[in-house]
Amino acid sequence: MGMKIQGIARTTLVAVAFGITANAAQAAPTVAGTTISNTAEATYTDPGGNPQRTPSNTVDILVDELLDVTVVSADPGDMPAPPGSTNQVLSFTLTNTGNGSEAFRLTPNSTVGGDQFDPTTTSIVIDNGNGVYDPGIDVVYTPGSNDPVLAPEASVKIFILSTIPGVAADGARGAVTLTAAAVTGTGAPGTNFPGQGQGGGDAVVGSSGADSVATGAYVVQNAKVALVKSAIVLDPFGGSDSVPGSIITYSLVATITGTGTLTNLAIGDAVPAGSTYQAGSITLQGSGLSDATDADAGEFSAAAVAVRLGTLTGGNTRTVTFKVRIN
Amino acid sequence: MNHFRGTAILIASLAAFAGASAAQAADSITLASQVFVEKTVTGPDGRTQVQLNQPTRVMPGDDLVFVLKYRNAGQAPAKNFSVTNPLPRAVAFRETAGGSALYSVDGGRNWGALPALQVRAEHGRLRLARPDDVTHVRWTFRQPLPAGASGKLTFRGTVR
Repeated sequence: MGMKIQGIARTTLVAVAFGITANAAQAAPTVAGTTISNTAEATYTDPGGNPQRTPSNTVDILVDELLDVTVVSADPGDMPAPPGSTNQVLSFTLTNTGNGSEAFRLTPNSTVGGDQFDPTTTSIVIDNGNGVYDPGIDVVYTPGSNDPVLAPEASVKIFILSTIPGVAADGARGAVTLTAAAVTGTGAPGTNFPGQGQGGGDAVVGSSGADSVATGAYVVQNAKVALVKSAIVLDPFGGSDSVPGSIITYSLVATITGTGTLTNLAIGDAVPAGSTYQAGSITLQGSGLSDATDADAGEFSAAAVAVRLGTLTGGNTRTVTFKVRIN
Repeated sequence: MNHFRGTAILIASLAAFAGASAAQAADSITLASQVFVEKTVTGPDGRTQVQLNQPTRVMPGDDLVFVLKYRNAGQAPAKNFSVTNPLPRAVAFRETAGGSALYSVDGGRNWGALPALQVRAEHGRLRLARPDDVTHVRWTFRQPLPAGASGKLTFRGTVR
């Protein structure tokens, strides 16, 4: 059985003397089930002057399957998501780093520690190969039913879809982990599954333990708007009394706060009873807007002023003014 | 390209029995190939030992020791004696142990000492050959192998 080898040090010296350096990084590992077949040959000239050749016996050794896997996050960072939103996507890359074709069981966990909220994972989706989540096209994963099978060195993107709690605070972080485990088995490196390797050999757990876990995270991006209304009165006599004929200039200041974005933000204000809207008086950020319902952002209709502010991120303010005359 | 002559050194302890008897057909050269896997094992006392086992199964990354035992079992010396081992494709050559050998990195067409060999890399440029480029190892004996002489040749490789 096992015998000690002598003279390792001497061998090393010889290698140095011949200038043999360590191997460069190896390419793809030998595929499980490959037979390594070694035959040497002796050649010589016999006394009759005839060249002769003698082959050695052939030694055949089967390459076992190494079970190894990596999972890494494929996101550029924490993924922004509004509170209460659904189908928010985290991306992972699953790679078979073993040397045999292998199926991998996927398990998400959204109740990890060290974050501020727990997303609710609603599905795991297997990419169709284009690297992007395609709703309705990429296949939803069911454990044990469509465990992704990867050839050696092959990778696939995995998407985790989650719902973000409506109460999650702006800036809060919620992490989700994805674990991939070789279906053949996992365990300490060296754990052997006899006869279960691709190609008829054993399957042996590699340095990864045949499973791997990676973390992705959502960061809540929320935004709020505060609206402050003020009025300046100019009476017909140059003063500021509210009398018939006085012109009131109303200012509406919208202030957006938070890390998120508000879309389709609009301001509307009804003209007060007992007053008359002054045509053409709407301004946005000091620039005039038409009263007509048209391409520009402002309009006056149905006794109300409306200004569409569009999509605004936190930190922006918008000021709208319009004028009425007291009847 | 590289015509190395007479660079090989006899590594085995050849019994110097010349004076072979009558020239009979030296049809009795034997060559035995053995492959061992080399593993460092830590014993219960915490000391490490390097063990060699003859495997039937290996893993990528396993270190292999190839041993070739030759013997002239005939009655006459074998002239121009050489031993060649083509590397199995799944094995990356590392080194020969205790002797000088010639190498080929092109399937056995050209032979030389490893530092003298080149391979074509990406974009068609030549670079110095590395051990894992080796496709064949050959030992060439300057002296005829006397009748009854035997020896052992060894090299190491790693399962790719």
